[in-house]
Amino acid sequence: MSTETQSFKGVGTPTTRMYGLLAVIALGWVFLGGLFFTPEDAVQGDAVRIMYVHVPTAWVAYLAFIVTGVASACWLIGKKHSMGFDRVAGASAEVGVLFMAMTLLSGSLWGRITWGTFWVWDPRLTTTAFLFVTYLGYLAVRGLGGTAQQRARRSSVIALLAVLEIPLVHFSVVLWRSLHQRATVLSPDGDIKMDGLMLFTLLFGVFGFTVLFAWLVSHRQRILAMQDAQQTSALDAAVTERLKEVQA
Amino acid sequence: MDLTPRTSPDNAPLAPRKHNRKWKYVAMLVVVASAGGFIVSQFLTSAIDFYCNVDEIGKRAGCEPNRRLRVQGTVEKDSLKSDTGSTTFVLIFNNQTVNVRYNGDPGGIFQECIPVVAHGQLVGDTFEANRIEVKHSNSYSEANPDRLAQSKVEQCSLLAG
Amino acid sequence: MNHVGFIIATYGVTFGVIIGLVVYTIKQGRNLSRTVADKDKPWT
Repeated sequence: MSTETQSFKGVGTPTTRMYGLLAVIALGWVFLGGLFFTPEDAVQGDAVRIMYVHVPTAWVAYLAFIVTGVASACWLIGKKHSMGFDRVAGASAEVGVLFMAMTLLSGSLWGRITWGTFWVWDPRLTTTAFLFVTYLGYLAVRGLGGTAQQRARRSSVIALLAVLEIPLVHFSVVLWRSLHQRATVLSPDGDIKMDGLMLFTLLFGVFGFTVLFAWLVSHRQRILAMQDAQQTSALDAAVTERLKEVQA
Repeated sequence: MDLTPRTSPDNAPLAPRKHNRKWKYVAMLVVVASAGGFIVSQFLTSAIDFYCNVDEIGKRAGCEPNRRLRVQGTVEKDSLKSDTGSTTFVLIFNNQTVNVRYNGDPGGIFQECIPVVAHGQLVGDTFEANRIEVKHSNSYSEANPDRLAQSKVEQCSLLAG
Repeated sequence: MNHVGFIIATYGVTFGVIIGLVVYTIKQGRNLSRTVADKDKPWT
């Protein structure tokens, strides 16, 4: 193990602490406003409250997979092949998979109340499930071993292919006939069909979850950096030890 | 050269654990590939043409009346009847209608003037459904008794095509 | 509130997972920081 100075600090910085504070405020409102202060929907009643967490988690999952794709492209294209890009890609995919799982779960519960069923193999749900298992596969490939460069090379190619699924998922409700409703905020006609406090809570939730995503990725990519450093120093120690054995 | 760090007393330790971890990820990949294959098969058999609209029964490929269908339309106003465990209603789309009978309570937010997808088969002139799924629109508005009746009428006329 | 079980389950799982992930991330970061040299932690 390295004998150099260790300050025993965590992975937080003033910037991530600010992200954290903003996320706590926004998510606090989503929790209280979503459960207690927003009105019932005219058709869905209280079931609409699930939307305030379902939509932001889906947004974060999309965003995370796009960030994974962009960071992977930067690693591939960059002349230095900076491992920072690979770690951001990996950290973002970890967060994205978790948020996609939450999206599928909340959507399933919302579907049981409104559609009358937990799951249907309709275009939106099917493509979303496929996106989820694709990124599970991406994480599995990252864990297969080898050097950090090998890991970065194979996972960046997968990430660039996988990110192409996102438009397919988003537009599945337009391309095919779906039980899932079309987009409300990002509707093609630009007309947002949602009342004031409902819309505010939804958008504030999207903001809060986005800031939370920034916090999580900042921290997790630093954790990956330390894990890589740990692996490298373990390898260095092993090499030094064997050289001593050879010389003895 | 074997570079496994020799940190434990018996000199045996880390390599097998790392090996196991690799196989854990290989197993995960196999599960993921199987799940992916299953999802793609569901997509090709079910998701691509999830339903036929009422006015397409007997007119569109895949919507033949002698096969099992998923039919989409709006529950016509004043057509909903429930008695002795059975629910009957008229499904309308593009001014074409079909009578639907379902054994049980459809659940969800099922009501008049709401679009639904009924799974079942046409028997005579009645669609015998064994599963009802309720679609909801992408518009959200505060529940307000004064404007509820009006919005329902508007919704009914809009959705019925 | 109607369907209260479904709604509470959704919020409980979502916020529970988030809090769990945040706590896990902070702890993992602190534990790793103790074993990694400062030169490998450019943010410190």
